[in-house]
Amino acid sequence: MNEPTPHPDAGLDALFALARSHRPDTSAAEYAFETRLMARLRARQNTPDASSIWATVSWRFIPLFAACILALTIWQAESASDTTDAVSIASLDNPVAAYFGSN
Amino acid sequence: MVSANSSTPDEQLVEATLAGDDSAFVELTLRHKSRIFGIASRFARDAGELEDICQEVFVQAYFKLRQYRRDSPFEHWILRITTHKCYDYLRKRRRGGASISVDAMLESGYEPSAPELPAPHPDLERLHAALAQLSPKERLVITLLELEERSVQEIAGLTGWSAVNVKVRAFRARAALRKLMEKQK
Repeated sequence: MNEPTPHPDAGLDALFALARSHRPDTSAAEYAFETRLMARLRARQNTPDASSIWATVSWRFIPLFAACILALTIWQAESASDTTDAVSIASLDNPVAAYFGSN
Repeated sequence: MVSANSSTPDEQLVEATLAGDDSAFVELTLRHKSRIFGIASRFARDAGELEDICQEVFVQAYFKLRQYRRDSPFEHWILRITTHKCYDYLRKRRRGGASISVDAMLESGYEPSAPELPAPHPDLERLHAALAQLSPKERLVITLLELEERSVQEIAGLTGWSAVNVKVRAFRARAALRKLMEKQK
């Protein structure tokens, strides 16, 4: 009777079994881990990250932004009325052009 | 404040942490660190990297604790974070290019601050060398399946891949590993 042929992955399976039985010893790395972790968490809580700095700064600048928008609106309204005045004056200087321009 | 002892359920400790009781999170860390270190040690190259992975896992758990839904045990949730962190490390390492030789590192003035995790058997060194050459996805799936003895369904839950995907990746990883091991002979 023929002998059973070994499974092609038998060697690999044996290696996996060996690796499973040799779990790395992490006890030294685990020692006082929670102390180091809590220190890191506290340090992180005390240091504001970039997004929170941006959020704080942007809120503080809101009055400045609002003032800028208001000034721009006033300036735009004034310059628009100046343009209308200039067109009216130009039409007085050249009535023919004003006539063709209006038609 | 919750008196954090071994009989307090994880969910209660989570609630206490969310309420600002950090000692409850310390208790959660003490409970789960061995499991997390055990898994991470399968992927970390040295003790320093192992510490980094584990710290990142617990830091993320702490800051994202509000996202933990109570529909599954806390342990599953933190294992999912661990799996993702390990995968991120494998990808980062792969993006970092080929590993630098020890001689080159020492010549450049590098001094190891943390001891390397020892491989206690020459055959295991061969296996680890071959595993290091797999793609991050292949390495993750084969490690969880063969070394951590997780089921396909469990791996699917941890990684977010479908069960079919896990099976296909495991099959490919095994084939690649077999080829690499044959090359080493």
